[in-house]
Amino acid sequence: MFGSIPIISIIILLPLIGAIATFCLGRYEKYAKWVALSFSLAALVLSVLVAVDFMVEPDGSATGYHEGNGFFDFQYYEEYSWIQSLGIRYIVGLDGIGLPLFLLTTLLTTLSILFSWDTKHRPKAYFGLMLILEVGVLGVFSTLDYFVFYIFWEVVLIPMYFLIGVWGGPRKDYAAIKFFIYTHIASLAMLIAIMAMYFQSGINSFGMEDIWRAGLSEFGRTFQIVAFAATFFGFGVKLPMVPFHTWLPDAHVEAPTAGSVLLAGLLLKMGGYGIIRVSMPTLPEGADAMQLVMAVIAVASILYGAMVCLAQRDLKKMVAYSSISHMGFVLLGFATFTQLGIVAGVFQMFAHGLVTAVLFMMCGVVQHHAGTRMIPSLGGLSKKMPNAATMMTIGFLASLGLPGLVSFAAEFMVFASVYQTWGLWLLVPMIAVAVTAGYYLWALQRSMFGPLTENIDTSHVHDINWFEGVPVGTLIALIAIFGVFPLVVFKYIDPAVRIVQVLFAGGG
Amino acid sequence: MDVLQYAWLIPVFPFIAFILIALIPKRTLGWEDGWGYAIAGAGGALVLSSLVIWEVLNGHTLTEDAPRTTWLIIGDYEVTFGIWIDQLAALMLLIVSIVGTLVVVYSGGYMHAEGETRRRYYAEIMLFISVMYGLVIADNYLQMFIFWELVGLCSYLLIGFWYQKPSAASAAKRAFIVTRVGDIMFMAGIILLFKYVGNLDFAVLFDINSGTPGAPTVPSDILILSTALIFGGAIGKSAQFPLHEWLPDAMEGPTTVSALIHAATMVKAGVYLTARTYPLLVQTPESLLFVAVIGGVTALIAASCALAANDIKRVLAYSTISQLGYMILGLGAGGYLVYHLQDPNGYTAATFHMMNHAFFKALLFLCAGSVIHAVGTNDMRLMGGLRKHMKITSTTMLIGALAIAGVPPLSGFWSKDEVLAAVYHAGDLDPIFLLLWVLGIVTAFMTAFYMFRMWFMTFAGEARSTYHAHESPKIMTIPLIILAGLAITSGFALLAGDGFKAFMELPIEEYVIPGHESTFDIAVEIFTDPLTYVSLVLAVVGILLAYRMYYVPGFDRSIFARGAAGTMQRALENRLYISKFYDDFAYKVWYGFSIVCDAFDRRVIDGAVNGFSYLGANTGGVIRKAQSGNVQRYASLIIVGIVILLALLLFVVPWGGW
Repeated sequence: MFGSIPIISIIILLPLIGAIATFCLGRYEKYAKWVALSFSLAALVLSVLVAVDFMVEPDGSATGYHEGNGFFDFQYYEEYSWIQSLGIRYIVGLDGIGLPLFLLTTLLTTLSILFSWDTKHRPKAYFGLMLILEVGVLGVFSTLDYFVFYIFWEVVLIPMYFLIGVWGGPRKDYAAIKFFIYTHIASLAMLIAIMAMYFQSGINSFGMEDIWRAGLSEFGRTFQIVAFAATFFGFGVKLPMVPFHTWLPDAHVEAPTAGSVLLAGLLLKMGGYGIIRVSMPTLPEGADAMQLVMAVIAVASILYGAMVCLAQRDLKKMVAYSSISHMGFVLLGFATFTQLGIVAGVFQMFAHGLVTAVLFMMCGVVQHHAGTRMIPSLGGLSKKMPNAATMMTIGFLASLGLPGLVSFAAEFMVFASVYQTWGLWLLVPMIAVAVTAGYYLWALQRSMFGPLTENIDTSHVHDINWFEGVPVGTLIALIAIFGVFPLVVFKYIDPAVRIVQVLFAGGG
Repeated sequence: MDVLQYAWLIPVFPFIAFILIALIPKRTLGWEDGWGYAIAGAGGALVLSSLVIWEVLNGHTLTEDAPRTTWLIIGDYEVTFGIWIDQLAALMLLIVSIVGTLVVVYSGGYMHAEGETRRRYYAEIMLFISVMYGLVIADNYLQMFIFWELVGLCSYLLIGFWYQKPSAASAAKRAFIVTRVGDIMFMAGIILLFKYVGNLDFAVLFDINSGTPGAPTVPSDILILSTALIFGGAIGKSAQFPLHEWLPDAMEGPTTVSALIHAATMVKAGVYLTARTYPLLVQTPESLLFVAVIGGVTALIAASCALAANDIKRVLAYSTISQLGYMILGLGAGGYLVYHLQDPNGYTAATFHMMNHAFFKALLFLCAGSVIHAVGTNDMRLMGGLRKHMKITSTTMLIGALAIAGVPPLSGFWSKDEVLAAVYHAGDLDPIFLLLWVLGIVTAFMTAFYMFRMWFMTFAGEARSTYHAHESPKIMTIPLIILAGLAITSGFALLAGDGFKAFMELPIEEYVIPGHESTFDIAVEIFTDPLTYVSLVLAVVGILLAYRMYYVPGFDRSIFARGAAGTMQRALENRLYISKFYDDFAYKVWYGFSIVCDAFDRRVIDGAVNGFSYLGANTGGVIRKAQSGNVQRYASLIIVGIVILLALLLFVVPWGGW
């Protein structure tokens, strides 16, 4: 469809142009949302076209097809030399792992912008920063050069830092600086590992494919273990994994709703993406040595995250902790080193992106309409906001893994793969299924059901607004569609991770 | 045209009704806020189900050759969706379609006063019936599990229908979470099989270890574990001990919902699953023993709890659990008979009881609904004397009570007797079944007693509070009369035509016995077996005892307030403290532990992070300035970052050469 059009670069550039345009609006700041929405919508439409055009089993005729011996098989591949002396190139391309996340990025950004429709405080900066954030995340999910990857990775931090720090809640300064320093330290660990791989590979290239190819012969076992540990820490903090997760609840509690949506929906996925794109394929022996560590951390995140959720009194903080629990499934799937588990992990990232966006949006709705998110102050709100209550119920049910909604397929396959690798240890992470149902339904009971609360003034509480309802409704529709037809997404992911599994079956 | 090919349309009818009721704007919804659509949806499914059942009665089934569609393929694993229509599925279709349709009809009267919320009610009922059909015709475990969970969801929504009531919201949550514990086991069980077989189709799984070429093999210890785990799902869903306490609470929903849950949909799914798993279960006597013991213990515990309950719906709820225990016991003992003697009588008895129970339990619940509708309370201590005002309800409920008590020739007599006979015969193989048979017999006695206690307290004597009771409208009494007819006659299916036993062939070829007993032999066998008279006498004694205690005036019930009897009475009234145990466990132990986790998270883990940064901020003044709150802190951080970066690069270069 796209011939020689550099479609990926165009999609990445669109929000950047949009951001500049938004910043330059001057006194016409009330149009900022329209500008931002148009550019993000354009990127969304183009990325949907890319997804439609993408050939699941490329026969060589796919647009910009780049074959890398089964492993680095990318489409829409673009390559430009940048700093030749250091071997830094601008390379972008998509495969079945990057594509769902790429699509998720354009989708969630567009919906978040719509959701923030009534932002009155410095709208130019707000919407501009969201577009910058989109640029960074899109870059991360499509770049195939470590140096550029790192730049995009860091680009993501800055707008998020400001989104929390300027539009955040009462403790925004603390949360923003904590978020920044914590994830920055993790980035440094990742950078060290990237540099180490660059020098160890002995070739003058930051290209992911080049380093992977060189690494097959050049990376010794000890090197792999050390480098894997460093990248794993770097990506794992982002995921986030227990015990390096405490930046997340603080950041979420203080972040504005749209910021939380992007933080949980996209930024966390960068961690999972890094593990499956960088750590595991490039450093398979390291991964093999660390398999048990990965698994233990994953199970700890799942169970511990779920237990802490149960104790939360703040609706949003509970949802934030649930992200820790659910992203643990991603790591657990990866750690099985099975085809089933890795596909499930990637799918879980996609699924969690959709579901958690609904949850944070609904927390935002409760906050805006009822004035508080504290569960003990709420109660019986479904009387005042029946549509919001329905949407929240669907979101919670999706998040607890109800079949027919999107997370179930991922959870089921993660469990199936865990059994393949570790046998009946399967039953340990499965406890979380009941705990998850427990905290969600209990929260629902206390906030939405029962008699209408008298702790807060509910006389002005009204149902969900259109600009809140449309994004949530869209996401719920997608959650149901992909829940009933998960194959639509699996067929992208499955061929892409096939080689990862081969790598472990052969080398591990 | 082969009707069976189109059986997948059965759940589609109510599903379309669900979509229509949910999406059509309120004002144009018309008749009784969606009742019309609900009738159409349930009726369409009833008609198609009848055609399918007719085909199956004529000996046609659609199992391995059914059309399939792929749901997911990952590597070597594939899950397809299809339909599986055999005798068991047809039996379940019969139950769901008849009870479902009658409940919807009845709802037109019962829910009349609910106003606009009926829209949500009918939508959820339609979804409930639809997913139950989906569960029944599923052709693999994952498909079944998906609908299984959706059935749980609909129960959650309907039990919590009056969600403004804290007790309803709490009961709904409880039902979902407790059954989810069972669901975890179910999921684990099918995951075990998934690894060895690569898909979850019944067609493939039922061949496991059969020795035919190409049949998958599963190690026997894995097979035992997986069947036991799959049965774990039934423990949750069918409210078996120790996960049974959610069901008595589930009466917080409208009574029609209880009728549906207890007779046709939710709890029957567990029995259905166990029967569905029979080809695997009969290879694992260890699991069968587990199944039988759970069933027997449940039957007795639940029956004893029903003795002291004063809420009419609670009595019925415990009686459901107890009867489900019978079915599970029958399936366990029946599997033992199949394993050792190739004797399918236990299996047929249990499935027969499943059908009969569906009719008389739906009848009893709808009668209770009619009573509650008239009196406005659930408490039997406030009722009494209703027989004079509600002739149809009291008569039909009497029929239901006689059926469940096992009085011939009503339906409960035939199937309960068959179940107990199978358990007794299994006692030849393992003496533990004799013990279970004793539990079953005691349960039969208790059942007769508490059902008539309920009937006498409700309908006999004089009114114990003031109310203006009146008979319910025809829209409610006609379903009662139809169900009463079924409660009387459905037991004769055992003797009609070739008989129920010949119809309910086991789905395993090697266990099908050539040449069935004639129905005449079956009848002779029943009436010449002394065991039949044991249970019959016990039932009659139970009824007479209830008559003496709750009908004849002057019985001094204060003996139940003192001494050992008093302790017993209090224990039963408190549901043997099982419910309290769960509450304490959930709210004190588990929630307490989560509070500890939360405190640990904030104090220890986050405390370490903050302590670390405090340390850093105090030793390096740069970072502390960065925390002063102005925008420049970011710039300074960048500088720090670059410095660290350069230092690392210098450090990494030599390291890279190592």
